[in-house]
Amino acid sequence: MSEHLSSRGISEWASGTRPPEVENHLHECAECREELTRLHGALSDFRDSLRSWGAAEGAPPQPMWRTENAQGAHRLRWALAAMVLVLLAAIPVYLARDRPRPGGTSAEDAVLLEQIDANVSRTVPATMEPLTSLVSWSSTNPAAATAKSLTKR
Amino acid sequence: MEPSAASGFLTAFASDAVEFEDFDAVVRLHWPAVFRFTLASVRDRDVAATLTQDCFLHAWRGWGRFRGDSTVKTWIMRIAVNLVRDHSRDRRLQFWKRVAAQALDIQTAGERLADERISTEARILREERVRAVWNVSASLPEKQRTAFLLRFVEDMQLLEIAAAMGVKEGTVKVHLFRAVQAVRERLGGAQ
Repeated sequence: MSEHLSSRGISEWASGTRPPEVENHLHECAECREELTRLHGALSDFRDSLRSWGAAEGAPPQPMWRTENAQGAHRLRWALAAMVLVLLAAIPVYLARDRPRPGGTSAEDAVLLEQIDANVSRTVPATMEPLTSLVSWSSTNPAAATAKSLTKR
Repeated sequence: MEPSAASGFLTAFASDAVEFEDFDAVVRLHWPAVFRFTLASVRDRDVAATLTQDCFLHAWRGWGRFRGDSTVKTWIMRIAVNLVRDHSRDRRLQFWKRVAAQALDIQTAGERLADERISTEARILREERVRAVWNVSASLPEKQRTAFLLRFVEDMQLLEIAAAMGVKEGTVKVHLFRAVQAVRERLGGAQ
């Protein structure tokens, strides 16, 4: 290859497409080599500038993935703490479930039982008690009342 | 003897700790590359920092599913490429992107090449060339710019770039060729 590389050939070489004939030409042709060196110089200056810029301003901050994970752990920790509190509150209630109540309450129970006995022993319901006073004679001796009414006839 | 629940928990905890350490090492190694790529793509340091954080957050969430089909760098750069693409396509941010495009002072880009061994003239020439490449890369279509940055800033191979961009190797070559042609035109080399 005696002629210089075309503009396309130089760009293709710089882009990474490297046929052997172009490589051979570059060994022989100082002009094409210089053209490529100039291009590579500009590109590597660009790279160096960007790298130094990135290094100056792109320090890794506090890792967010840990924060995210820590937030999850934090929530789990609160949930566990709440569960423990609920359990602690439930234990006394559970233990007191079958325990006999103190003596003060047994007197109240006795009063209540008396009231129940009194209600059970009524001959008529409490709401009908006024009526029983009106017909008390018949309730005291029903046989005599019947005889009395027969003699009147 | 069967492992108890407690020993299982401890094993899981220990493996989580190892995973944390592994991922920390990944972040330390690849953070600069991702930040450089996002910075050169979006040209706003705040947006670049946010995208880089998002990239590693996505990587952390998918870390357990990474099977080593590609290198870790390629895998992470693929996430970064997708995030930059999504950011570019978000039309709601067009106005803010126009404002942000001025946020990164490209004029100072060349000044970051500190080299006291060269003359002032050579340094000025160098700075101009760097600014020219920066400006060209800003004007490139998104895919050309992505291929260009991955090849010439991150020194990735064509196949790695193809994997990171989710395209074929031939497509990468085409994007790179066009990007290099544009750079050479700006530098005065292409005819």
